[in-house]
Amino acid sequence: MEDRIQEAERIVKKMEKETELSKIEELIKDNKISFEHNDKKYRTRLLNLAEKEELDMLRRKKFGQLIKDKDIFFEKDLIIQYKEKGIDIEKEIDAKIKIITAEEFDLQIKLGEVISKNESETILKNYKEKIEQLRLQRNILSTQKILLLTYSLECALESFVYQIITYLSSEVQTENGWVKVFKSLEDFQKCEDEKLICKLGSYAVLLQQL
Amino acid sequence: MNIYSLLRNLAKSIRAQNIFVASKEMSGIHIFKNTINFSRVQEFYLSWLYSYDMIMRDIIVDKISEKVLTDELYEDSYLLWRRENKYKEENKSQDNKKDLYLVSGKTINFPKRM
Repeated sequence: MEDRIQEAERIVKKMEKETELSKIEELIKDNKISFEHNDKKYRTRLLNLAEKEELDMLRRKKFGQLIKDKDIFFEKDLIIQYKEKGIDIEKEIDAKIKIITAEEFDLQIKLGEVISKNESETILKNYKEKIEQLRLQRNILSTQKILLLTYSLECALESFVYQIITYLSSEVQTENGWVKVFKSLEDFQKCEDEKLICKLGSYAVLLQQL
Repeated sequence: MNIYSLLRNLAKSIRAQNIFVASKEMSGIHIFKNTINFSRVQEFYLSWLYSYDMIMRDIIVDKISEKVLTDELYEDSYLLWRRENKYKEENKSQDNKKDLYLVSGKTINFPKRM
């Protein structure tokens, strides 16, 4: 009986894996991603040349606005300001990340070598644990840096670019075929359906070559 | 599991690998509906199809065991070591070749047979 249960569990797991894989296949079958939301069919697609030019134009315009804003600083200027307040990003974060990355690289090369020599699982796991610990440390440091530089000009511009990409690449299926979800950038920014924006945004970013 | 891990799993599936190998050998077989303008995820997937193809070939010729496919970190590390090793070997063979280079335009006077 126990064997049958185990076998059933194995089959269910295999089926789940295959369903997951066929779902993921949908994301790559072409350069568009479709999904349903509130009984409507939406899709995001790779931007065409005209849209890429529009993206560039809007990005330049936004950059011009941001650079004039005295309350927004470039990352390098923010780093100097933090240093004056006793937070040395270059020394306390960047330098540590560099050391950890080099250590991780060395360990990965060693792990690769022991794999090529068909060493035991215990040795592989030992390397794996060490690398994972380093990755965790590096992720913590990277997150700290991201949080410290959230209000930089670069971050503001990046967030704006993601908005533009989502606005330009989102379409909804109608009787007349696929049409733009948002008539304008203002229309997109006023949209209150956060779930829809989130889905469109995450798929749009997966597709675009930034 | 995140989307990138799922894409890697798909790229290492036997079906995906078969299609990949067939697409390299037969011009009528395409991996995606679009044959140009690849999206970022499509390029990511393609790069992993290539990487898993390399790993599978090494497994087939018994260079490594299938154990490498049990963990993404094992796969990454093996590919990294493989690349570094290949780079080192290429450099080494370039160094060895240095002595054999002939200078164009120069006449070599081989010793005459007695």
